Amino acid sequence: MIISTTWLSEYVSLPESTAALVERLLLSGLNHESTRRVGEDTAVEIEVTSNRPDCLGHIGVAREVAVLFDRPLRVPDPRPREADESAADAITVEIVAPEVCPHYTARVIRGVKVGPSPRWLVDRLATVGVASVNNVVDVTNYVMLECGQPLHAFDMAAIRGGRIVVRQAIPGELFTAINHKDYALAAGMGVIADAVGPVALAGVMGGAGSEISAATSDVLLESAQFAPLAVRAAARGLVLASPSSYRFERGPDPAAVDYASRRAAALIEELAGGRVLRGAVTAGQLAAGGATIVLRHARVGEVLGIEVSAERQREILSGLGFEAQAADATTSRWRSPSWRRDCWREIDLVEEIARIEGYDRVPENVPIATRTVPESPRGRTLRRCSEVLVAQGLCEAMTRSVVGQPLEETASPWSAAPPLVCQPPLVRGADRLRRTLLPSLLEARAGNLAVGADTPDLFETARAYLARPAGTPAATPIEEPLLAAFVIGGAFARGKGLLEAVLVRLGLAPSSAAATFRPVTLDLFAPGRAAEVVLVAGSSAGERIGVVGEVAADVLERFGLKGPVVAAELRLDRLEAWADVERKLERPSDFPAIDRDVNLVVGETVPWGDVAAAIRTGAGALLEDCRLEQVWTDADRLGAGKKSFVVALRLRSAAGTLSGAEAKQAVDRVVEECGRRCGATLRA
Amino acid sequence: MAIEAFIAELVSFRAAAEAALGVVVDSAGLEQARVEFLGARSGRLKDIQKLLGGLATADKPAGGRHFNEAKAAVTSLFATAHERLGCGRRAAADARAIDVTLPGDPVRLGHVHPITQTIRQVQEIMARLGFEIADGPEVEDQWHNFEALAIPAEHPARDPLDNFYLAVARGADPLLLRSQTSTVQIRVMEARRPPLRIVSLGRVYRPDTADATHYPMFHQVEGLLVERGTTMAHLKSVLRQLASSFLGGDVHVRFRPSFFPFTEPSVEFDMEWGGRWIEMGGAGMVDPAVLAAVGYDPDEFSGFAFGLGVERIAARRYGVADIRDFYRNDVRFLRQF
Repeated sequence: MIISTTWLSEYVSLPESTAALVERLLLSGLNHESTRRVGEDTAVEIEVTSNRPDCLGHIGVAREVAVLFDRPLRVPDPRPREADESAADAITVEIVAPEVCPHYTARVIRGVKVGPSPRWLVDRLATVGVASVNNVVDVTNYVMLECGQPLHAFDMAAIRGGRIVVRQAIPGELFTAINHKDYALAAGMGVIADAVGPVALAGVMGGAGSEISAATSDVLLESAQFAPLAVRAAARGLVLASPSSYRFERGPDPAAVDYASRRAAALIEELAGGRVLRGAVTAGQLAAGGATIVLRHARVGEVLGIEVSAERQREILSGLGFEAQAADATTSRWRSPSWRRDCWREIDLVEEIARIEGYDRVPENVPIATRTVPESPRGRTLRRCSEVLVAQGLCEAMTRSVVGQPLEETASPWSAAPPLVCQPPLVRGADRLRRTLLPSLLEARAGNLAVGADTPDLFETARAYLARPAGTPAATPIEEPLLAAFVIGGAFARGKGLLEAVLVRLGLAPSSAAATFRPVTLDLFAPGRAAEVVLVAGSSAGERIGVVGEVAADVLERFGLKGPVVAAELRLDRLEAWADVERKLERPSDFPAIDRDVNLVVGETVPWGDVAAAIRTGAGALLEDCRLEQVWTDADRLGAGKKSFVVALRLRSAAGTLSGAEAKQAVDRVVEECGRRCGATLRA
Repeated sequence: MAIEAFIAELVSFRAAAEAALGVVVDSAGLEQARVEFLGARSGRLKDIQKLLGGLATADKPAGGRHFNEAKAAVTSLFATAHERLGCGRRAAADARAIDVTLPGDPVRLGHVHPITQTIRQVQEIMARLGFEIADGPEVEDQWHNFEALAIPAEHPARDPLDNFYLAVARGADPLLLRSQTSTVQIRVMEARRPPLRIVSLGRVYRPDTADATHYPMFHQVEGLLVERGTTMAHLKSVLRQLASSFLGGDVHVRFRPSFFPFTEPSVEFDMEWGGRWIEMGGAGMVDPAVLAAVGYDPDEFSGFAFGLGVERIAARRYGVADIRDFYRNDVRFLRQF
């Protein structure tokens, strides 16, 4: 909303400094956008929140100024001179769709002389950025910008059949607007029709066929109430927002329907001549505002934390147009003005008092009672995970939650259900809620390499969104697993090592056997080069909580990446319980350790995991550490189909110094157990 | 001068030098001894050398021989002492000295995203003020995203063009990506009774066209306090503590009236930063209708809520002119924070 200070000063005397004016308005609810000189005038652009349509006209802003600076408000009271001829004889008005238009009024002015507007009118409109058209159209714009009620003037000669019908648009109905563009209308939009067809799009824009021209002699002046939803449907649906639709979407002052009609008729007669026919032709019921509200004066202090005297409270409300109906020592009863439909409860009056009294009075140093807050398991899990990955040189990425089909066609490790789809797309082509973060990170890696950024090892912690499996009740919430994912250069072992480090930091030691790695087949990963992490709790079969693997060649190619690239994803939401587990010290033994290397030969297909488990069983409590030093194959020395694990064992007792004999017994048990379970033999 | 007297001088010179160098304990003492006995300008050996000229011509070869022997002996004694004191080893080590300006072995550290850093910082400050973290879903229903927040069906904020609605089966309750983190407040208030101090944070979604200051996905931090006797003065004081801790120093807060459906009174709050008022976010007293919707008595409990756009304050703090940079994931950007 742009305000002309010259225009505004017609209703209230303004403070000398425009800067002081805008500062005060800014602190009472009308945000300042800009101030600039226009000729002799000053244009002040203010931001009006959607609950204050009363400030979409100069009088409304003047009322604020009057209260803020304690000055009288002068509002014109137009009384057009009316001819004997009755408007009702010239036009009939019918509302077929009250849901679109609760109330409609029409006035008729005959014998106008359409021509240029006087200087003062042209100048005021120019200050607020409205181009002058002619004296009749300028008056309708002027009155709208004065009191906030949009008006429309029709050339009476173009209204066929002498009747106005307000109805819903017929789907597909064509309408040529005043901007000379054609629109196909839809149900839910309102039209003003004559005996033949639409002449205006209700509350949005007039029609080209009935616009005021130099040839116009008789004018039909429309002032009406249009329903916000119907106006919004038309303005949005046709991408045809106008100053009129902007105001109707917010709901102008119901009392201004009649006021604006009288004001415009009087001004047209004054500036363009002609005779104003007697009365206005009306249809429907005016939906009037106004609520009765009881204010407990003590409530103001209870909400604001400052004392405002009851007398001052009453003074502010009266100044804003609230009508005092009754009062006693502690309460007062008020009727809210028609233009303040946002005020209908006690708390609304408290806010009015607060913004006029000024929030600068509210203190900013009252004591706040302290309370202690522990870190949440989720916060701790996220922090620990991020600590490990950052320490290892990874940068945290943030990618979009909603992705396009090319990223979504990679299957998710977490759900086989198709992705959820949103409308509109988040960005062009991206309308699928992602079920894994990995494709987004692959894309981010490719983007980095394309701009020549080196070592773009990235991780992200974010949610995925999993549709309800078929057959689950509709009330089941959408599952949103919290994931941590990373994509880095390197082979499987690098990814697995990093993933294990995260698991350890979250409290899942690899030897705890709670989390085990198993081969997995997923189309994101190269065949035979990926694992899932399974969390075994109690006797359950185990749940997949992570995946790690080398990215498949065709996937790399799709993203324009060169391998090897390893990727992993972890369900952090399943690991929060572990982050909470308290640690207890295991005191290191003071006795010396004995190191023994064993060289175990097994069949080529035997996984290390099986051998490691056998070693742990065999060595029992004496085993402090078991490290795989080397894996090698040599058909000549080991035999075909065989491989060798060179393992360094560290044995130690908490109870005393181990003897060589005890160490040998332990190693013998290891060899025996590995032989029994994995067919291993000791290589001398 | 007689040759015997000359030789006697050399003997006493050697004895004195031997005694002195034998008791030297540090390099300063060694240097002092060197100057006294072997100094090129006024050392004692130099003085004896001058006496050489006073010998008879026939005695000169023998005198020179004795002189050289004494000189070599004392020089050797000096070297021995030098070695004993470790000066020699240090000299040898000096020969293997490194160029200390050469680069160290590189260590590549990773970086936490600046948005996460900003969120964590606000979270930590709020934790010190007793606000615990609350979490809620990003895919929300109409009740939590709108109705409980006093946003009725005809409100423009519910327009399909202004939200990311999910395609769901006909007849099912519409779901959408949450447009604000206030949804979490409702969920917490539904589940618990006051006193409450929570901070919720995370991704929110609004269909804005991406430009330098808008992105259809962004982060909000939102605080809620519901306790008996809460006033706007408490709100302003909490925001001032947040501002002072976040920006450093004693920062002031300013309220400007505004409008949000779920708070009344509603304000925008500004913080004074670099001599200017900077818009930080929206706030207000929890609307009585919202308290009633979750089953609280608005006359018994009152509360405040506030929200901050994380991208906006992070952009200002780090001098990021285009918020789309936060989502480009260029490591050359990420490594600067």
